[in-house]
Amino acid sequence: MRRRLRGLLVGFLSATLATTAVTGCSSAPGGAPGDVTITVAGLPPATQPNVRRQFLEQVAAFEEANPGIDVQPTETEWEARTFAARLAGGRLETVLRVPLTEPARMFARGQIADITAEAAALPHADAFDRRALAPVTDPSGRLFGLPVSEYALGLVYNRELFARAGLDPERPPATWEEVRRAAAAVWEATGVAGFAMPTTNNTGGWVLTAMTYTHGGRMEQEVDGATVATFDTEPARAALDLLRAMRWEDASMGTQHLRNAADIGKDFAAGRVAMMVATPSFYVEHVTQYGGDPAAYGMAALPSAGTPATLLGGDVAVVSPTATAEERAAAVAWIDFYYLKRKYDPAFAETVAASLAADDVPVGFPTVPLYGPEVTEPARQAELRHANVPVENFRPFETGLAEQEFVTEPPVAAQEAYAALDAAVQAVLTRQDADPAAELRRAQEKAAPALARDQR
Amino acid sequence: MSGGTRSPAATPRRHPRPRPHVRPPGRPGRRRPGAARRALAALAFLLPTLLVFGYFAWWPILRSVTLSFQHTNLIDPPSWVGWANFGYVLTDPLLATTVRNTVWFVLLALVLGFPLPLFLAVVMSELRRFGALFRVLVYLPVVVPPVVAVLLWRWFYDPDYGLFNQALGLVGLGPYPWLQSTATAMPSLVLQATWAAAGSSVLIYLAALVSVPTELYEAAEIDGASIRRRLWHVTLPHLRGVLLVMLLLQIIGTFRVFTEPFVLTDGGPEDSTTTILLLIYRYAFVYGDYGAAAALGVLLAIALAALSAVYLRATRRWNPS
Repeated sequence: MRRRLRGLLVGFLSATLATTAVTGCSSAPGGAPGDVTITVAGLPPATQPNVRRQFLEQVAAFEEANPGIDVQPTETEWEARTFAARLAGGRLETVLRVPLTEPARMFARGQIADITAEAAALPHADAFDRRALAPVTDPSGRLFGLPVSEYALGLVYNRELFARAGLDPERPPATWEEVRRAAAAVWEATGVAGFAMPTTNNTGGWVLTAMTYTHGGRMEQEVDGATVATFDTEPARAALDLLRAMRWEDASMGTQHLRNAADIGKDFAAGRVAMMVATPSFYVEHVTQYGGDPAAYGMAALPSAGTPATLLGGDVAVVSPTATAEERAAAVAWIDFYYLKRKYDPAFAETVAASLAADDVPVGFPTVPLYGPEVTEPARQAELRHANVPVENFRPFETGLAEQEFVTEPPVAAQEAYAALDAAVQAVLTRQDADPAAELRRAQEKAAPALARDQR
Repeated sequence: MSGGTRSPAATPRRHPRPRPHVRPPGRPGRRRPGAARRALAALAFLLPTLLVFGYFAWWPILRSVTLSFQHTNLIDPPSWVGWANFGYVLTDPLLATTVRNTVWFVLLALVLGFPLPLFLAVVMSELRRFGALFRVLVYLPVVVPPVVAVLLWRWFYDPDYGLFNQALGLVGLGPYPWLQSTATAMPSLVLQATWAAAGSSVLIYLAALVSVPTELYEAAEIDGASIRRRLWHVTLPHLRGVLLVMLLLQIIGTFRVFTEPFVLTDGGPEDSTTTILLLIYRYAFVYGDYGAAAALGVLLAIALAALSAVYLRATRRWNPS
């Protein structure tokens, strides 16, 4: 028995040593001395074989074009719940893709790297559209990320429900008054909620902020050198009062008012919501995840109440704050190769688009141009040659976008501001006697300590 | 046991009996041979558990306490900020709301969730047939992963397509707003939480009921005691110890309510279901203020510890152990 135990122990030790030796070899950066290894998040899971294969092919192509850089992809996606733990544990990837709402605060906390110098060396760096870079630029002009897909918020509508309600799907609402009338018409004709507003996970505050921008307002303003919450203003009251009227006077918003933007997206795809505020990229989820009808998907610019404006959404590629100078440079080179090159290199854009279309990945919905038109347009035209989305359905959105001002997130404690505004939206949609002005004042008081704390 | 008379059980406490000999026979002061080796062996067996427990339970608690006095971005060395995190948390306008909501949840859970499992256990213990089947049915919700169960109930509560409104509509009732109203949102969460947790409590009560001597029931029956009197005078006194512990565990458990408001309502409508733990979560993972999250966590732990101490003190004379 003892001999057997000893044998087992020897076997275990040998196996451990062998494993250590093998992993030691594999973890060392391959190639010549001076090579740099970076980890990049966002490798699609094995359940999406086509997109995953495409990603890995791009990794191989990048490594071939940059022999000194070894790219190790991971399936990690940014998630609020795990980000802190991975950061503290030193497990953060060198390149991570995060929603546009996050990086400003992460940079202020020192949780992502300053990549101003590396980005300045990129091709067409001087042709970046300032509006597109605004969400990733701090007040002193430092760049803390690169937008990889930016979308302006717009009005997504169900063309089929519009037709059933006697509305013209080619002429979607351009003002909030028209939205109200269309919602009432859809509700009356079909019994489907004409317009849905998210209210939880800070998405209610997010959309209300965008609506306020279209009324000419801002949720935060500079007063005596400090940024303060200015929720209770005429534009915000008008936006909230519009929701109140649609909910209680027209009863055109249905009865479910405690859900986030993703919940509404599912209902929209199922034909249970006629209009909602979303980005054009929602088309991907609509078709690939929720089984929505591509032909029913229509998109217009965010309606206005006198001030054509919109809020940007999308994703930003950021770099780990612990990356060395070489790793930072390699990371920015990867971001350029994988995310940006297709926006400025027509030949590359066409290759990528053809490949994506061959795998039934949606191609051709509009994005916010990251560069000026002289750089963007040829690449966009090359991509459109392989478009497989109903491009015409996005035409009202593209037409309206040209006139809109792109307004960024509230600059300080945006998430706390959105959370406080969530409650105001919930109040107006769930309680008939709720007063929009009083709810906005209450939300403003709730958000004030967070704004003050962030500016200490 | 009526006023004035001293319980016989009190006597030994006033005049404690001499401690029994714990040292084995032998010469006084001399350790038994091999005792040290056995103690070392025991320690060696205990050590892995202590290390694991220390690393995963006590160390994080210590870290939380230190973090509550720090400002950190989890990259650079943390800086000490004194009581600033506590100051921020205590002046947050949402804190009072979350405390009120949490206490409301605890009270509702006590009223609804505490007696129900006991009632079910007593009824099931009386069953002569199908006892096993009922035990399985009652325990089934515990087997369902919590988030799955909560998502299921989210569909139950849907005002348009939900099971409850559809079913009640068949008999001409509703539709009810369930989670959509500040008045009904919290009771709706309690209902779900009770459904999810009752199975475990029922099993514990059933196990405790087995220990009640059957002769007492027989004697009570001979004396003509009704079911209610048997329950009141035989069953409950014997379950007293279990009941007290279960009550304390329930109070502590419900004070830490998180999953239900997180998944079902995200604290809404109008913050009417935002609980203390949900606020801690938001501080840490939505707002990135780990110091404030730790500070509120420490405050909650202190409050719960104080509550437990008061509870144990107040119930000491009823506790048979």
